[in-house]
Amino acid sequence: MSNSNLFLKSGFLRAPLQNGVGRFVPQLQRIVFKFCKTHGASRGMRDFIEQDLLDFAKQNPNIVVYMKPRRHRSPVIVAEYLNGDRFWMSMHNKTHDEITKWVEVMRTQQGDIAATRLRKLQYTDHPSIQGPWTPFTFKDPELNVASLPDSKYGANDRLPMSATEKLRLMFEQQKLNESDIKTAE
Amino acid sequence: MALTRGIVPFCFKVIKVVPITLQTHNIHRWVAPTLMELKRREKKLGGKKTNPRNTFAEWNLEAELYAFGKRLNEEFNYDTLLQAFTDRSYVVQEEMKQKEMAIDINLKDNKELAEQGEQFIKEYVQVYLETVLPKFPVDGVTSITKNLTNEETLSHISLHLGTKDIILAAEYPVDNYILANTFKAIVGALLQSSGKERTAHFVRDFVITQLQGQDVNEYWPIDDPWSMLTEILRKDGVTIEPRLIGDVGKNTLLACYRVGLYINKKMISSGFGETAATAKEMAAREALKKVFGTEDHMKPINFQLEGIPKPNENNIYQISAS
Amino acid sequence: MSAAKRVQQWATFARTWHIYDCKWQDPYESAHVIKKYLMGLHKPIYHPMNDCGDVVVCINSRDIALRGDEWRKRAYFHHTGYPGGATWTLAWELHNKDPTMIIKKAVYRAIKGNLQRRHTMERLFIYPGEDIPEGVLENVTNQIRQLRLVPTRLDHIPEEVVEKYPKVMEYPEDYVLK
Repeated sequence: MSNSNLFLKSGFLRAPLQNGVGRFVPQLQRIVFKFCKTHGASRGMRDFIEQDLLDFAKQNPNIVVYMKPRRHRSPVIVAEYLNGDRFWMSMHNKTHDEITKWVEVMRTQQGDIAATRLRKLQYTDHPSIQGPWTPFTFKDPELNVASLPDSKYGANDRLPMSATEKLRLMFEQQKLNESDIKTAE
Repeated sequence: MALTRGIVPFCFKVIKVVPITLQTHNIHRWVAPTLMELKRREKKLGGKKTNPRNTFAEWNLEAELYAFGKRLNEEFNYDTLLQAFTDRSYVVQEEMKQKEMAIDINLKDNKELAEQGEQFIKEYVQVYLETVLPKFPVDGVTSITKNLTNEETLSHISLHLGTKDIILAAEYPVDNYILANTFKAIVGALLQSSGKERTAHFVRDFVITQLQGQDVNEYWPIDDPWSMLTEILRKDGVTIEPRLIGDVGKNTLLACYRVGLYINKKMISSGFGETAATAKEMAAREALKKVFGTEDHMKPINFQLEGIPKPNENNIYQISAS
Repeated sequence: MSAAKRVQQWATFARTWHIYDCKWQDPYESAHVIKKYLMGLHKPIYHPMNDCGDVVVCINSRDIALRGDEWRKRAYFHHTGYPGGATWTLAWELHNKDPTMIIKKAVYRAIKGNLQRRHTMERLFIYPGEDIPEGVLENVTNQIRQLRLVPTRLDHIPEEVVEKYPKVMEYPEDYVLK
């Protein structure tokens, strides 16, 4: 993280006003094209206005489009969003294609998202499905009534069987078999 | 080419001459004191002034109102919508101006529309919540409705629908009361132009969806959950038994207890707390959530209910919050 | 924060008291087990920056077992800071002086050396025998399992059990037991 990011407003990925839960509201409310009618720097902007702007306005009746010719000044697009963000962008010497792409970006983003540092790349209201862990979660209920220390809970119960124990078990088994044979006879 | 030939030697010269320490971007010494002085003067004049958006050259009220309706996918009557956006303070201000200029144009404010809208929002939200939370007590539903229709929530909705710039008011930026009032008036205007069902869907999509991801129990504070729970269960003829089922660090400041509530030796809920009494109370809260069908893992609230649901009073668990 | 979320947080970060019986246990191996509980590494909520360590009570530290001839060979170094202030204390000497010291030093060495280490060590209680204060014992709600099997001495097994135990062979009658 570079140092400049520390001064950005920080936040989480959230849809404004639960957008999309009920109905979807496009977030770009108005867009202002500022350009010069004669200057070369506004060439791409003029091309965009001549060729694409009417279609853009027709396809997006929810966006108010303003045009502001300014003599011999650099072309600029200002997009205003429903959450109050104002996205200013210089279009100096930008070509028709570049401007088309930037307008598409402004139309589809939900606000000035580049001005926010995301603290995390995901967000949830319910961080756990089973409920958060507590010391009681996987606790053996027997421990509630046990009086500790008790070797029943303290002794190692994962050791392999000792040779002595194995021999003893074999002996027990042998005795059982002998008694079986006797009863069979 | 001639230009580059001219520049290249110059570049080399610059690199040779300039010491490394000066290559970083330096902010001049005069910048900070000047900015401070400018800030001080601005403060002296009464802080930063924001010009109302509707005084800009690039502003067309008619287009804004048209786009407003299109954005929300609703058909508004232009005059009614304009009236909905007209605040009382603006009308007063305009009348004063007109008196000075000796003309008379009649302006209507949004008071009536707001009243109609508020009435509709409150009734509809109440009925809707009673339908989607069928086991939740009436008091609780009323409490949620109150929270959903208070000034704070409605102004937040209003702000995010983009009313802030369009509102005709004496002040700018407008305060929360005017924002909330305008939202109610918009609902009132929609009621006049599109009818009840469409308005109901509008309210559902923008007001009720604010419950998405929220815990509805938090909107209804219960003073004594234990006595409420025992009262409910006494009606069913069941006795409830609290048991201490876990404790941690009993003699410390960070002690934690877990209490489970049992009916016929079956646990129905459990709660934690720094004392056994708190844990018991929290367990009772958990049990009440189960009774009301609003546990943490409840099915999400249905935000897609069509039309206006009919109030059905027989279905609802009536409990007094004593 | 609502009441439900508050108690949830309280419960999640509650400190459990564990008891660990050091009898016949290797202190250096046990230290790595105790460390996990002291630092909260056994919890799913563990994060280096959250304070979720538990409390561990070690009993019977007098009866620890060192491997091989470590009692005689292992030396504990200390320097007073003055010239000629270096001392090397053998493990058996240290254990005679303070029976809790070896386990304490073992756990201290097992924890990574950062600013948190001394605060983590505050949560470790060591008692040489089985007698521990009543208030401490009341807090204990869990027991950490030992690493090694504690052997039972022959003279501690009741005589009937010894008699009944199957024998591989009988000694001859004229065999003289030392």
